[in-house]
Amino acid sequence: MIDRMRFWVILFTIVMITISAAPAQDAGATHADWPHYGGTQFSWRYSALDQINTANVKALTPAWLFQTGDYAENLQTTPIVENGVMYLITARARVFALDAATGREIWNYRYPEPARSVPGFVGNRGLAIGDGKVFFGTKDNYMVALDQKTGRLLWRVNIDDARQCGCNITAAPLVVKDKVIVGGTGGDGAHRGYITAFSTKNGRLAWRWYVIPGPGEKGHETWKGDSWRFGGGAPWLTGSYDPALNLVYWGTGNAAADFYDAERVPAGADKSKDINLYTASVVALDADTGKLRWHYQEIHDDEWDWDSAYEVLLMDREIRGRMRQALVHMNKSGITSVLDRVTGELLGVFSVPEVQTWISGITEDGKLVGRNEPQLGKTTTVCPTAAGAKSWNSMAYSPRTGFLYVPVNELCEDITPNNAPADEGQNYMNGAFPVKLAPGRTTYSHVDAWDPVTGKLAWKIPYKYVLLASMLATAGDLVFTGNPEGEFYALDAKSGNKLWSYQTGAGNRGGSVSYSVNGRQYIATSTGWHSSVVGGALLALFPDQDWRLGSTLVVFALPEGSR
Amino acid sequence: MRVLAILCTVALSCAAQNVAKHGEQVFAKSCATGYCHGVKGGASGAPRLAGRGFNQAYINNVVTRGIPGTGMASFSTTLSPADLKAVVAYVATLNGAANTEVEEQAPSGSVLTGDAARGARLFKEAVRGFGRCSTCHEVDGFGISVAQPIAQVPASVAALKALATPDVKTGAVDGESMPVLVLSEGKQGTLFYDLTSTPPVERNGEPGSVKFADGSTWRHSSVIGAYDDTELAAILAYLRAVIKP
Repeated sequence: MIDRMRFWVILFTIVMITISAAPAQDAGATHADWPHYGGTQFSWRYSALDQINTANVKALTPAWLFQTGDYAENLQTTPIVENGVMYLITARARVFALDAATGREIWNYRYPEPARSVPGFVGNRGLAIGDGKVFFGTKDNYMVALDQKTGRLLWRVNIDDARQCGCNITAAPLVVKDKVIVGGTGGDGAHRGYITAFSTKNGRLAWRWYVIPGPGEKGHETWKGDSWRFGGGAPWLTGSYDPALNLVYWGTGNAAADFYDAERVPAGADKSKDINLYTASVVALDADTGKLRWHYQEIHDDEWDWDSAYEVLLMDREIRGRMRQALVHMNKSGITSVLDRVTGELLGVFSVPEVQTWISGITEDGKLVGRNEPQLGKTTTVCPTAAGAKSWNSMAYSPRTGFLYVPVNELCEDITPNNAPADEGQNYMNGAFPVKLAPGRTTYSHVDAWDPVTGKLAWKIPYKYVLLASMLATAGDLVFTGNPEGEFYALDAKSGNKLWSYQTGAGNRGGSVSYSVNGRQYIATSTGWHSSVVGGALLALFPDQDWRLGSTLVVFALPEGSR
Repeated sequence: MRVLAILCTVALSCAAQNVAKHGEQVFAKSCATGYCHGVKGGASGAPRLAGRGFNQAYINNVVTRGIPGTGMASFSTTLSPADLKAVVAYVATLNGAANTEVEEQAPSGSVLTGDAARGARLFKEAVRGFGRCSTCHEVDGFGISVAQPIAQVPASVAALKALATPDVKTGAVDGESMPVLVLSEGKQGTLFYDLTSTPPVERNGEPGSVKFADGSTWRHSSVIGAYDDTELAAILAYLRAVIKP
């Protein structure tokens, strides 16, 4: 009896070890579906589909397109696909369920325009599905759940009064087991950021984790006086999840005030150590309780709005002879950290922009050298910019090449700080930072392929204007993305050679995805790049261009019968 | 501005010039910031505002209403009336208005002092999370109107704790019993707030699927535990100051 028991225990242990070691090369890949914002919850934006590949991509042709009719802003969404149905959300939270093979509308839902004006920008970067529901955040700061089959409203819950906090939701939520988890905006205002989890079933609060520890909590001592109350740190994008570790990973925003630190940094603080926790960090939270497991602060005292809120890519890689459960994370400065995702230990770091003047360099152990800090009463020019060496649009990762695919912009800005006091929910950047083109260049962006293990650049394709669309990598050894001129294109994942392109008619600022229905592989991309915020600010740098409006999903496939 | 100050007796009334000067500060903090307008109305992420030929009525209209579908939000609730007027006056000067025809005004409404001022802060104090009053009550432009507008302010903290809440019913939803506030019942479904925990959740039940019965075990005293009695007294003082019967 004991022996039989021992046998089962051993077998169970072996199975568990195999399962937990398995995620390595495939857990981050999507197949027929594109179930999450980042592809899978490992956030690779990589599809294992290879029907469309380097040999036949030249034949890729439009299969269908869908005009959303919402021209309010950029179509920033990354579509979600499950069982042949595509789910799409627009800037003003119009939600569509479409037949993913034909574009036929199955249902639509229009979130009512907020009755009263609320602060914040119009925009929505995606939705999430799970538990038979579709989840999304809104401009007036609600988490909303619809019936996935019918589009009927099931529940909604207010996260915070947008008029008071100056915050709302533009990011796609993350569904983990029975919870829907979401981060908010507002970290450039006088606001204390947080991540909130609700029950998928009925919208009841499950947990909330404040980015900034309150009195008595560890890390609180890294804040001067009462500055923690309005210290920013909003985690305004979408996190990742490792089911084997049951940990949720999220990037947190910069501290506020952004460009003026005298009110928030304790006297005599050592800038080679943690300051203003847990802003400008990658954090690992227990998915069930929201309790902090570990943190890694990328920028101690972020005075440039480098904003570590970006996507977190989970991957297992051999690093210095040892297989590591790693994660890769970039902030707006282009500094990219490779961490052990079990412990938060730094395994490697590199920087992607060509023009970098805010520091003179970074050491192997992640220490900033030669900080070029904005100073009150002065104007300081730094490169890159608060618009991001990479903006919030995601990079992609291919396990076949081992490369990260990153759109990088080469821009500079003139930061003039001010010392205006905090006023709850109001802008608290404390500085103007007009963005300009990096001097002495003719191209202002490039698509890069980086090996995160070696920190080495494999190839680089320069481009004249800026790039603000997410990347997509596929097992056909293709990398897809689009540009502001409306060209959506495919590069050879190994060499960067451009193999195919198509003029979609309007700039690309959203996410592209791959999926299959009845054995046919599709590539879909959001098009339409309108005025405000980063997209508008950067396009204004090229006033001779006539950038076109749009809000259309364009879907491609190989011609019928050619497969 | 120094030149303007010298000329103010000639071209512009000093009162109006002071307003515009204040407006310049409001503009720097609320408009020429982030990814929005540039310093002194220059172009940045948002369009240039200087020298566009905008008149004061147009500027006032845009600032108070916003431009739907763009990044230009309405500032009617985020700026005080005095700040709004001042920033409109300032942008008008950027468009060549010689006399902005704005008089400096005393702030509208009464200024809260003492307990009432403290209560105003406590009512919506962010650090209390979902335990603050504004989670369920909208007063003076802030908060979520889950409950009906407060018509009568309880006379004492004891009365606040013992508050009768006849609108709260007991709902049977998917085999679960819960305290609810019913919003509407119709062919489209039944809209109600689930008060089981804070924040309340607005739910939409299939038509006829939700049953309600009068009365509930829910008590107002169970959701005000984030405050002590002194704080609750200050909040009542605030409500008395702003809610006119």
